[in-house]
Amino acid sequence: MSRNPSSSQTKNTVYIAVFAAMIAAMGLMPPITLGIIPVPITLQTLGVMLAGALLGPWRGAMASLVVVVLAVAGLPLLSGGRGGLAVLLGPTGGYLVGWVFGSLVIGALFKYWVLRRTGNTARFLAGLASVIIGGIGVIYLCGVPWTSVATGIDFGTSLVGSAAFLPGDLFKAVVTTLVALTVHRSYRGLMS
Amino acid sequence: MIAANNTSYLALIKPGWKFGALLVLSIALYLINSWTVLLSIFIVSVVLLLTARVNFKQIRLPLISLAVILSVVFILLGIQTDWLNALRSVLRLLTMCLLAYSVSLTTKFEAMLELFQQVASPVRFVGGNPAQIALALSMTIRFIPELKKVYVEVREAQHARGLANNPLAVTVPLVIRSLRIADETAEALDARGYDSEPAAFRR
Repeated sequence: MSRNPSSSQTKNTVYIAVFAAMIAAMGLMPPITLGIIPVPITLQTLGVMLAGALLGPWRGAMASLVVVVLAVAGLPLLSGGRGGLAVLLGPTGGYLVGWVFGSLVIGALFKYWVLRRTGNTARFLAGLASVIIGGIGVIYLCGVPWTSVATGIDFGTSLVGSAAFLPGDLFKAVVTTLVALTVHRSYRGLMS
Repeated sequence: MIAANNTSYLALIKPGWKFGALLVLSIALYLINSWTVLLSIFIVSVVLLLTARVNFKQIRLPLISLAVILSVVFILLGIQTDWLNALRSVLRLLTMCLLAYSVSLTTKFEAMLELFQQVASPVRFVGGNPAQIALALSMTIRFIPELKKVYVEVREAQHARGLANNPLAVTVPLVIRSLRIADETAEALDARGYDSEPAAFRR
């Protein structure tokens, strides 16, 4: 079926909106506790990672951006019911900005690298590497210096502080990769 | 909701001015190093929040979590550098957050969103489409309760199978159903002839 440009533009917008709503819904739900990790994990960053891995770079980044914009405008969408201008100005504002770039990088790596791999193991490893680079590397790269500048705590301490979230984030990276590859298998052409 | 239909004097000021003032003050706070000046601005911000007739229930939890983070910051900085420096940092952050809450809680959500859309409107010069941005924002708000419902349903269904704490068993159906909702909505918009292209771009 051929689609004219305006209808595919509408479709892109709807995908962005639905995934933004999914990220928001994941933050509203009570966190899941797992036996292996002591801190209960919220699924919100899982949604951010999935948006990039499933929608591609620019739609994924837009989905994350929509959530950040709505939260900053006042909806209590962030885990723990946080929202308003204070979340961006506070010590952890950098992580929110990082979401947008994280989704962008994950999306780009999935589109141009992961989905071109053949073979299940190669795909899984490439996918996991992409999600770790974008969903942990890029997000921490925005969040850690921001905390350091906002509070005056030195960079090293800020980095050590964020390490508490590393086990949960690594776990989410594995889940994201498995989910994204499963969904791409049954829902082909999601990024074309 | 960290936004409100407020009746105080702060609500009478246009959102754009409040937002601009907050931005300028936040930058200024980082340039001020004297703790006495910081303390006086902090007192002003407290007075501002107290006189703004805000509903404190809305920010009770966020304020508690902010207090926890700031006490950790205070102790860490106090040990690593000196206590005056720690006081300066904490005053700065606290002032900024209180001012931000004063702005958020005296501005209607719609007004704040409209302000952001105005700020974003220059994207049309680089090929963006403001109508699509507005559509995405309002559609997201409409989809949140629906997606939350889907999430609860999926979790309940997997709970019945003993899989409630298995993230894979919860997330895959959630994503597939989200994609299906998106496809159906896009088709419905097309069927109703929704055309989001601005008139100037039409051929």
